[in-house]
Amino acid sequence: MKIVKIAKNTNNKIFFAKNNNMIKKIIIGLLAGLVSGFFASGGGMILVPSFIYILKMQDVEARATSVFCILPMVITSGIFYYKNNYINWKTGIMCAIGGIIGGIIGSKLLKKIPEKYLRIAFTAFLIYTSARMIF
Amino acid sequence: MIEVLAGLVSGIVSGTGMGGGTILILFLSVFLEFNQHTAQATNLVFFIPTSIAAIIVNIKEKNINWKVAIYISITGIIGAIIGAIIAGKTDVNNLKKYFGYFLAIIAIHEIYSLTKKYIIRKKTHNKINIK
Repeated sequence: MKIVKIAKNTNNKIFFAKNNNMIKKIIIGLLAGLVSGFFASGGGMILVPSFIYILKMQDVEARATSVFCILPMVITSGIFYYKNNYINWKTGIMCAIGGIIGGIIGSKLLKKIPEKYLRIAFTAFLIYTSARMIF
Repeated sequence: MIEVLAGLVSGIVSGTGMGGGTILILFLSVFLEFNQHTAQATNLVFFIPTSIAAIIVNIKEKNINWKVAIYISITGIIGAIIGAIIAGKTDVNNLKKYFGYFLAIIAIHEIYSLTKKYIIRKKTHNKINIK
């Protein structure tokens, strides 16, 4: 039974890789780019789950690849926002200083506080602010 | 100073891998009352140095899947051009509303993946055992 299951799985995987992977990558990329350009954020929110669920990548690999992919999208959309004079450089640089320090703290904190509670807090915060933005 | 604090908080959030950019945009637009376009554009400035640092670490640790990365980057640039042009032509208040809807979708996805990860854990354990 087990052998049959494994054989079926690998067959499916080969079939899947040959026919659909390229189209899937193109669609994922376009969609993430659209979101990333329109909202200037959230490309990772599209990329990480689609890498994990659709392209069956590992969690660490998915996150690392997504950060790499978002950078060119951000630079491209940054050019358009810059042309329209939307960028507030002073605030941006101040935030970036805080962001670099915060990034270091965050990656260390992740090992100490259970991810579960962080994500619950994050979700609650999202629900509250999304309601405030819509209404 | 408030800006540095906002950056600090969103940096912590993105360090844990949960979309720091969205948090920063929220801070800027909801609490500091920036208009939505400026908040989004400012997030871009914030993102570039933070992500370059992360990318360097990831290249060193060989975590990047280059085959996927190249396709997604190229198609992503095309998508970003279209998205940015549309955003530039969208009314400020509408853009803020759309962003709210987008956050709501993310929240729903978070709830879905949280329940999947922590409540239906037993099932996935069984699957791993079969493999």
